[in-house]
Amino acid sequence: MSTIGDWNEAASELNAIVESFDEGEVSVDELFVKLERATAIIEALEERLDATKARVEELAPRISRVADEQ
Amino acid sequence: MALEVTSGDDPILEVGEFYQLLTARLESAYGRRHPCWVRGEVAKVYEKTHLYVDLVDAGSSASDAKRPVLNAHCWASQWNPLKRKLANDGVTLQAGTVVNLLGYVDLYAPQGRIGFTVTEIDVAGLLGDVARRRQELIARLVREGLVEANKRQALTPVPLRVGLVASPKTEGFNDFTGQLLHSGFGFVIVHVTTAVQGEAAPAQIASAVEQLDGAGVDVICLVRGGGSKGDLAAFDDERVARAIAASSTPVFTGIGHTGDESIADLVAHTRAITPTKLGEELVSLVAQWHERHVRANAKRLLSGTDAVVDEATEYLAERRRTMIFAVRDRLRSEQRQLTSTRQRLVMQSRHLLENAHQMLTSRRQLLSAYDPTRRLAQGWAIVTDDKGSVVRSLSDVQLGDTVRVRVSDGNLGAVVNEKNGEVT
Repeated sequence: MSTIGDWNEAASELNAIVESFDEGEVSVDELFVKLERATAIIEALEERLDATKARVEELAPRISRVADEQ
Repeated sequence: MALEVTSGDDPILEVGEFYQLLTARLESAYGRRHPCWVRGEVAKVYEKTHLYVDLVDAGSSASDAKRPVLNAHCWASQWNPLKRKLANDGVTLQAGTVVNLLGYVDLYAPQGRIGFTVTEIDVAGLLGDVARRRQELIARLVREGLVEANKRQALTPVPLRVGLVASPKTEGFNDFTGQLLHSGFGFVIVHVTTAVQGEAAPAQIASAVEQLDGAGVDVICLVRGGGSKGDLAAFDDERVARAIAASSTPVFTGIGHTGDESIADLVAHTRAITPTKLGEELVSLVAQWHERHVRANAKRLLSGTDAVVDEATEYLAERRRTMIFAVRDRLRSEQRQLTSTRQRLVMQSRHLLENAHQMLTSRRQLLSAYDPTRRLAQGWAIVTDDKGSVVRSLSDVQLGDTVRVRVSDGNLGAVVNEKNGEVT
């Protein structure tokens, strides 16, 4: 399975998979492969998002101190 | 007094007797009990406990060896209260000042000098002169465009590097620096110590402005706490005004109390009414910049970050839901397709079976027509040779061959004794 690109690349690939499902282009043989790929992309993006959230949670109080200081 | 009489009946006086007589005459006309006002221009002035002033006619030339000079002095007992009064009114006795002095004549016999003991100085006249000279200076500064010169200097948006012209540890110094140091901002103060009153102050202040102008500071602040007009006179000095006007760095002033406006205030880039207000002004400038460029952006950054994270979170949740629904839909569709196909297959199979059954029945009926037992029952017989082969033609047997004849209910043994091609 190929590596997952940056957010925008991964999101584009995920969107393409979802669209192929919407348009009924996926055969049963492809279904599992595409679903597995889409799941891997979603989990990778969620992992990145969680990591980003954690960093934001670290930085937000520091930015808040600047924003709130008198 | 014993007077010696000359031949002309005029008495001959000893020197001491002469001075006694002169003193008596002078005192009777211009002595302590007969003071008079004398107007003159200060040619020299110095103070050593007492005040000593050389007074000449206003406008007279110093090169004129014959110009009259009045050696005036003011004893400390008189001078000290007068000095305080002058200081309060912002008046300084200096060379060139035209002054009216009230006093009396005294004669100092050991040096043969006539002096003038000052008892009063016409402050009102001096004030008028000071005001006139001040207005003249302002007019000159306006005419030369110097009042607006420093105001045209661009002020950096964040004036954190502050050049300070002040006397250290004074109230004004502490008020001003206190505002900056307690602001929480990273002000850097480059301080040049100067006197802020007295004769040396104007030159020191002007020099400090020039020095700080080349020191890379963002703003130069002239700071001095409240005081009498005399205390603040240095800030009306032309040298200070010209130094401010010539500065390429914006000069801010915080001098004296509310209502005091010096010429330094007039030519400065920005004037605050007190050192405290000047400190507040600088802090406010930095605070406004901080608000616009730091706090506001920090708020936008927080808001933007939340929006991006929320959007990404919602996007992934939506994609996840969509994927699940899409896959389920797809699987259901496939399931339906399979079910439909299966049903079609079953129906088609049944149909095929039915057809096959019908075909078999038909074939069976057809075949039954050819069933030999039925023929045997009708009287037909099947003849086979001794090898079991069906005899279909006369040529299949020879006369004398033994044959076997099958009838409906058994077999007969027979011998061929005749071959006849005719069929009856």
